Amino acid sequence: MKSAIYLLSIAVLALGLYSFEVRQQNTQLEQTVQAQYTNALTNASEKLSTLQRSVSQSLLFQDQQALEAELDNIWRISNEFRSTISSLPLSRDVANEWLRYVGNIGEEAKYASDNRDFEGWHDRMQVVNQNLQSLSDEWTVATSNFYQNDADISQWTNVAEKDTEQSPFKNVASNLKSYSETDFPLTASESDWLKKRDLQNLDDKEITKEQAIEKLEILIPGIKDATYTVTKSKEDAPYPFYHIQFVKGSRIGYADITVKGGHILSFLSERPIQEQKGVSQQQVRDLTNDFLKRAGYNDVQIVEMRENHQAWHIALARVVGEDKALVYPDGIQLKISKDSGELLGLNAMEYVQREEINEDQKVVPINWETFFRPGTHVEEEKLIYTENEAFQLRKCYEVIARFDSKQNETFRIVVDTENHDVLKVEYMP
Amino acid sequence: MVRSIFMSVILIFGTLAVVNPNQTFAFSGQVVERGAFGDDVIELQARLQYLGFYNGKIDGIFGYGTYWALRNFQEQYELNIDGIAGAKTKEQLVSVSEYHRDWVHEQIENGNRFTHYGGVPLAQQTTAGAGSSESTDVQLPTKYTERDLQLMANAVYGEARGEPYEGQVAVAAVILNRLESPDFPNTISEIIFQPGAFTAVADGQIWLTPNERAREAVLDAMNGWDPTENALYYFNPETATSAWIWSRPQIKKIGEHIFCY
Repeated sequence: MKSAIYLLSIAVLALGLYSFEVRQQNTQLEQTVQAQYTNALTNASEKLSTLQRSVSQSLLFQDQQALEAELDNIWRISNEFRSTISSLPLSRDVANEWLRYVGNIGEEAKYASDNRDFEGWHDRMQVVNQNLQSLSDEWTVATSNFYQNDADISQWTNVAEKDTEQSPFKNVASNLKSYSETDFPLTASESDWLKKRDLQNLDDKEITKEQAIEKLEILIPGIKDATYTVTKSKEDAPYPFYHIQFVKGSRIGYADITVKGGHILSFLSERPIQEQKGVSQQQVRDLTNDFLKRAGYNDVQIVEMRENHQAWHIALARVVGEDKALVYPDGIQLKISKDSGELLGLNAMEYVQREEINEDQKVVPINWETFFRPGTHVEEEKLIYTENEAFQLRKCYEVIARFDSKQNETFRIVVDTENHDVLKVEYMP
Repeated sequence: MVRSIFMSVILIFGTLAVVNPNQTFAFSGQVVERGAFGDDVIELQARLQYLGFYNGKIDGIFGYGTYWALRNFQEQYELNIDGIAGAKTKEQLVSVSEYHRDWVHEQIENGNRFTHYGGVPLAQQTTAGAGSSESTDVQLPTKYTERDLQLMANAVYGEARGEPYEGQVAVAAVILNRLESPDFPNTISEIIFQPGAFTAVADGQIWLTPNERAREAVLDAMNGWDPTENALYYFNPETATSAWIWSRPQIKKIGEHIFCY
């Protein structure tokens, strides 16, 4: 009996010590997280004040050099603020509204600096400056409790879990939403872009579920007679489509086909892939071209092929005009298995949302010898269409250039054909 | 008589193997060009490096570095300069270079940083483990990195490993859609680790080792597939308690998840 009591006491003591240890570790962890959140909050508050001051200061200058320096500051600080705010456990709508609003300020600063649109900047920022000041004040009020001595981690968990209506950030959120709408209304190009995303211009005749399956089987004969489950997109979806899920042998996959016109948006099939490589790169190219013919994609061209463990990923772009320029935003992607050359995937979402091409854009020649530094070789040059930062489709030169060195470092440079703005520089491995 | 013929045959083949060891591991019969990946490309890079034409990493990925090196080789040996390793080019390469297949593959498997230059002892051309953290074994669109793939595969596996393949591609696509959206941070890492954004981060399941299926799903999303049709959020209707997430416009349901804007 005595031994049992003795053993039980030791067990209770050990358990007590263990739970004390665990509790201490938890407390330490909570304190570490609390310290990091407080640090991020302080950083965010400081960045917000600095941003507001910087926007205010930008209204002082007419001098181009002084203003450009301030615009660079605003762009940098807005990015830093976005990064800090995204590390705080705010509710999703508060975080999203902050990221959008401050991101817009940064983008405006960059746009004004790149396009020397200083007058436009001054016009727009008069109001933004006042709103930013009031947001900064509300932020100070909303966050004051987080610096109290008795603050604990539960304050943060409450913010993340509760609805914004019940959180201290209620006013900040509601003002951010309204300021976003008034201070940064959608530009014409953004609104065009959204329209395309929503496939609002698709006004073909509606098809039935059965017709959608028929269409799919013509394009992908390998899944003929599969077992299908077809559902329609939800009511809120911006465009209606059939979501077709199929099973055939070891193949399981899906296809989305628009109700209007029966355009295939995407298709993906999964099956075990044999390790043995059964098709060559040339055969993959031939299979791609066969599929394009069968599917009626007569105006696209292969722009890139990437082989990986199981499959080839092939990128295609639409070709337009006499100069055969490639429209990258109207792309199609294919996935072809390495073992048998079976088509495992098709993504034609962007192709369905065809861009309108401005054929009138000027093509002003560039002397690449003076454009690039000596020792840079231009290896390829072609014309393409791609979007600039304002979502405008621009005709561009796409140049593959390399350094004349042992490493042969290679770059892809995209330059606007009219104003010679450099839109992209990518390192090509 | 039969015995002496048999011995002669063995002697001839044995001598050939000793005199011309590089023939033992010659290329497969396939034409190799930019975009290719695998053992043939490893051999091509190793042989080009042996001759001093290629100075990059031997990783089995036929990128621009390999392309220019091959063109330079073709130019020097008066072959057709097309940057494509066809039968003639391969034959020429094999006849003028050596390839230590087992050694090269051992270095790659062990994650060693190594080179394969001719005239330098192999032992002097390797540093154990130095390259493992940077090993690349996939070809991604240029805007993504191997780290992005790894991080996203962890997120997809943690969030949706029980979901159909389509559902896994969909979760990866949501992360990439957030990257394009002004409402979210600017990097994949910031998006994944944004507090409260993903359950797998909160409950630590993101640290589980992802399987090949999750990596393949991320690869498909990075290559353009988006089964969600531009969704920015998703939730499990059985477990979601937030009124806000139910207020989002819904697009479609895949597996256990509803995808929405």
